[in-house]
Amino acid sequence: MVHALEIIHQLLRPHGKMIDIHPVGEPSPIEVRMGGQTILAGWLTEADDFVEYKQADNALAQAIQRRWFLVEREATFPFVTHADSMSELREYLAKEWKDAILDDQTARKAEELLARPERDKELLVHDRIHILQLSDI
Amino acid sequence: MPIRLDPEESETAALFNFVGDLAGQHVLEIGCGDGRLTWRYADQAASVIALDPNPDDIALAIKNCPPRLQGRVEFKLGTIHELAASLASAVQPPGFDMAILSWSL
Repeated sequence: MVHALEIIHQLLRPHGKMIDIHPVGEPSPIEVRMGGQTILAGWLTEADDFVEYKQADNALAQAIQRRWFLVEREATFPFVTHADSMSELREYLAKEWKDAILDDQTARKAEELLARPERDKELLVHDRIHILQLSDI
Repeated sequence: MPIRLDPEESETAALFNFVGDLAGQHVLEIGCGDGRLTWRYADQAASVIALDPNPDDIALAIKNCPPRLQGRVEFKLGTIHELAASLASAVQPPGFDMAILSWSL
């Protein structure tokens, strides 16, 4: 990762900018929205990805320490994944988010909530994302 | 309805809030995936090279590239290391104004 940042540092023009976007690496709440109401069903956790996010943070810290980049701004923002059913969410996780761990209790509660008679329901997976802007030195 | 990723466009809002005006900027995006984020900002940039090591994702990004972005966005299969190696032999390697790492570091 640090080597990749060194290459980016070399490819950027002087004072060019680098934006890094990655999840903060914390369990993601799974909610069921029914009309204007949302109910927590449980949490989605990850195994290796959480470790990788920490490694990414460490690599960025090293790049800053080596004076390739200067931190200009940072913030977090919400990122919400919407699904209409548990099967749809499971299919997506299996294909695109292989590291995700969806426990049985959360899945069962989400299924129960989705089975309620109310109309206009969906599953929401909430992530918190870190965005960092750096300037090439 | 298929899975919807960030239909609120919070990611785009955060990106634009940080980068401001991309007009005239030459952008390198690392880890572009299927182009989900690329479509949202590339209109404003002068040029975009978008990289991803996953051939399925790059194929999807090329296939779904809106016609208005063709000629402005170049999707490439590969890593930053491979791009650097290919640029090393260029007579005048491009310098990028901005690098975006989207969930890829």
